[in-house]
Amino acid sequence: MRGTDYVLKRIAFAIVTIFVAVSLNFVLFRLAPGTAVTNLARVPHATPALRNALKKQFGLDKSKSEQYVIYLEQLVHGNLGVSFENEQPVSKNLRIAVINTLPMVTIGTLFSILIGTLTGVIAAWRRGTPTEAATVSSALGFYAMPTQWLGLMLIIAFAGVLPTGGMTNEFLLDPGFWQHLRDLASHILLPALTLGLTLYGEYTLIVRSAMLETLGEDYILTARAKGLRPWTIVRKHALRNAMLPITTLVALSLGYIVAGAILIEIVFSWPGVGRAVYLAVQERDYPMLQGAFLLLTISVVICNLIADLLYFKLDPRITE
Amino acid sequence: MTAPLLEVENLNVWFDLEGGGELHAVQGVDFSLEPGERMGLVGESGCGKTTTALAIMGLLPPSASVAGRVLIDGEDILAGGEAAMRPHRWVDIAIVFQGAMNALNPVRTIGQQIVESLEIHDRGKGAAARARTGELLESVGIPAARASRYPHELSGGMRQRAAIAMALSCSPRVLIADEPTTALDVMVQAQILELLDGLCNDFGLALVLVTHDLPVVAQLCNHCSVMYAGEIVERGPLDVLYHAPGHPYTRMLFAASPDLGMGDAPVLSIPGAPPRLDRPIDGCPFRPRCDSSFAACVERPHLRGVGDDHAAACHLNEMVTA
Repeated sequence: MRGTDYVLKRIAFAIVTIFVAVSLNFVLFRLAPGTAVTNLARVPHATPALRNALKKQFGLDKSKSEQYVIYLEQLVHGNLGVSFENEQPVSKNLRIAVINTLPMVTIGTLFSILIGTLTGVIAAWRRGTPTEAATVSSALGFYAMPTQWLGLMLIIAFAGVLPTGGMTNEFLLDPGFWQHLRDLASHILLPALTLGLTLYGEYTLIVRSAMLETLGEDYILTARAKGLRPWTIVRKHALRNAMLPITTLVALSLGYIVAGAILIEIVFSWPGVGRAVYLAVQERDYPMLQGAFLLLTISVVICNLIADLLYFKLDPRITE
Repeated sequence: MTAPLLEVENLNVWFDLEGGGELHAVQGVDFSLEPGERMGLVGESGCGKTTTALAIMGLLPPSASVAGRVLIDGEDILAGGEAAMRPHRWVDIAIVFQGAMNALNPVRTIGQQIVESLEIHDRGKGAAARARTGELLESVGIPAARASRYPHELSGGMRQRAAIAMALSCSPRVLIADEPTTALDVMVQAQILELLDGLCNDFGLALVLVTHDLPVVAQLCNHCSVMYAGEIVERGPLDVLYHAPGHPYTRMLFAASPDLGMGDAPVLSIPGAPPRLDRPIDGCPFRPRCDSSFAACVERPHLRGVGDDHAAACHLNEMVTA
């Protein structure tokens, strides 16, 4: 069958990538100046004895290579360690953060993909018209906007109308299912919109350029000569070919969904992965950081793998 | 007298140039075609022959403005714009492009692409359309089973055959072939020409063969129009153009063609380059390159009859008849 080799190669490549990333994660955070102990021992009258006790407790007294072996061993058993910060299992911390992050970032990303593809196709199809100019300049504008600034502007504009921070209304005691859902939805709106707006510009520009390239191909002329309607040409001939570069981009950005959006989660006090990573960096919470980065790595690599396989399905010319 | 099958009247095409100005790419082209007639449209690169072909089908980009009429059975198909043109495409006039590699969509099978043209013109759906596709492929010498292949899985010659099968799918009455054999090797070229010859005979197709290759025209066509700098400078039966050209350009074009049985005569090139079309042309456009220009050539000559079914745009002919 076409491509068994291709699929196996891709999967093997993905596994190797994850291993390399895991090792880099380990090294990276230990290269950063300071340790968790530096922070925790910053209490008045901290004695060297306290410092050493903490070091021992976190296993930081062992050599780096010993730590690495222990880390790998535990990882294979599915143990991500215990957070230095709140002494809870990292996997539990991460699970909560991911569950909080996913709905917000997914909605924002899907919004940006949908709007971006649509405006990109329109811009390419209406090339040289004011429609294109308007679409491209607004896409560029949003693309160039600093995320946190856009978030703050939305807060200024919608404060009072929509909740501007947190995930739920803390004062809503014992809400019913629908009440809770409505509350959650109203909290999701602003951060998701911020994310969608900052991402959509990039999609518009990439979809537009991919579409322009395919619209100039001879087979588009053939399709017109055959008497196809413009929309049929876009759908059946142009978009299908333009999807090739777009697929990679979309799959890659889906991989980043679990990473949350650090800036947005901080501006809107969203208790997701992004904020957890930010706090963990401040606290030198190695296990938490390693866990978060591992999660991110795996999801990016898997999405990449999916992109490769999709690409293979979409483009019959790939045989290897 | 009934209207001819295809009639092109005073066709003009201008392209807007970036940074202002216009390029007058096709300048008052006229010709007509009867059912089953085959006409070659020859000239060097950039003379407007492909632009003429695209203009006839209304396929030029928005940067082009077109004036003139294209009549099918006396009906002007350009008059109603793109939407009115659409039902005529592929049904009345179909086109085969140069280099079928890119003329076929790389991510769809050739079968899908042929079925699609059958379906949009209501020539069958589903299983019926697929069966018809198989027949069409067989008629151009491709086994019907190859319908499920993608363009890149076929050789250049096969792709061109598939493109021809696709062009014939809605039984058009006029086929425009734009450099159909360029980029193919000589053996395959001969096969494609033979195929086109047979198909035109079988289906009574009228053919417009756009090419710079005179031997190709000689194999397929009885009539030929020679284009230079956007206008037709001579037309007539091919043997008349060969033996008694009415325009120096035609004579030099034949002399520049090596394999037309010129014996030991050396292949001659035509010095110089065609005039620029983004500015008005004074006098005869061929004058700077012509070996027999004279005083009268400062006036622009017009196409006029010089014999039976033979016309040329050259002042020399007036001298002979005067």
